[in-house]
Amino acid sequence: MSKPAASTTRIWDPTIRLFHWLLVGLIAFSWWSGEQHDMDNHRLSGYAILALLVFRVFWGFAGPRTARFSSFVRGPGAVLAYVKGLGSRKGHLADGHNPLGGWSVVAMLAVIALMVGAGLFASDVDGIESGPLATYVSFEQSEAAADLHETVFNGILALVGLHVLAVAFYLVWKRQNLVRAMITGRRAAEEGETTADLRWSPVLALVGIVIAVAVAWAVSKGFQFN
Amino acid sequence: MTLSKSLSLAALGMSAALVVATSTMAIAASPAATAVTTRQANFKKMGGAMKVLKDQISSGAISKAEAVAAAKTLAATGRAQAKLFPNGSGASAGVKTDALPAIWTNRTVFDGQMKAYIAQADKMVVAANTGNVDAVTAQFKAVGGTCGSCHKQFRADN
Repeated sequence: MSKPAASTTRIWDPTIRLFHWLLVGLIAFSWWSGEQHDMDNHRLSGYAILALLVFRVFWGFAGPRTARFSSFVRGPGAVLAYVKGLGSRKGHLADGHNPLGGWSVVAMLAVIALMVGAGLFASDVDGIESGPLATYVSFEQSEAAADLHETVFNGILALVGLHVLAVAFYLVWKRQNLVRAMITGRRAAEEGETTADLRWSPVLALVGIVIAVAVAWAVSKGFQFN
Repeated sequence: MTLSKSLSLAALGMSAALVVATSTMAIAASPAATAVTTRQANFKKMGGAMKVLKDQISSGAISKAEAVAAAKTLAATGRAQAKLFPNGSGASAGVKTDALPAIWTNRTVFDGQMKAYIAQADKMVVAANTGNVDAVTAQFKAVGGTCGSCHKQFRADN
């Protein structure tokens, strides 16, 4: 053992970290631009979030093990076992998302997808500003989409609040800094713990980015390329 | 049908008639409330007409008949709207409205904004008649601009 105290292990690849922090910034910017009625920037921000979502879903199948849905979306047994151990001061040795946090990730992705989807079909009451897909629905339907877009934001706030609380709980109660791990990509390793290296393919990441940008671009054009 | 059944049906019918009568009276009793609901329906119509034009703009092709009809709706409804903000048709009308008190305290500005909108909507009829997508796009922005500047001053932001 050359450096037992400072031993760390890698759990988050760079694209996941970039995804996470870009999403944080873009959700904040979307809220702000929406409040300012700056709809040009609000739409751009939404397209960027759409690209992030597409990439994340792709990465959920093509990414390293901690990014894969198959590794972090767990059954009720695993979730229950995890919840029972929540009170313990001992840090949870999760190789990425814990069993409950995995579902939190799924819920956040779903509610953000719903938010973006509603926004794409939404129109303001004046018929002046609208999402690029509003052209495929009636005025009444796009107004309903706008109402949904407004309501779902509360769901995002609730889930983000819960997420931040959980991270704070880990910091205070379990003395584990999850924020740092999401920045550096590494968490402290237990003494003698051996984990497999986090393998990910930059080529696949590039493929995912190209797909994500292409989808977001096509949607932003309302699939009307003239 | 038994007697009690027909009696209760008759009672039901009479009470329904009473409800209809009183609610009709309630609406008839308040021209201010009628003004609010009428202008709200009109604004919805204008929003729908704007969407028709917007959809054509994003498709890149103007279908003249529909575009002209939508532009005429914008102009004609705008003219009707100018008369649908009588005194007392604000928050005191008893119907939920986003119309701000500034409409009545700043009436000349409000009327001027209405006139500006109608002028731009008339120009939209001309633009739609050209069938030219660039002309319609430019005029759509001009019309939307007059909508927006009036809403900024005189409509509650929610």
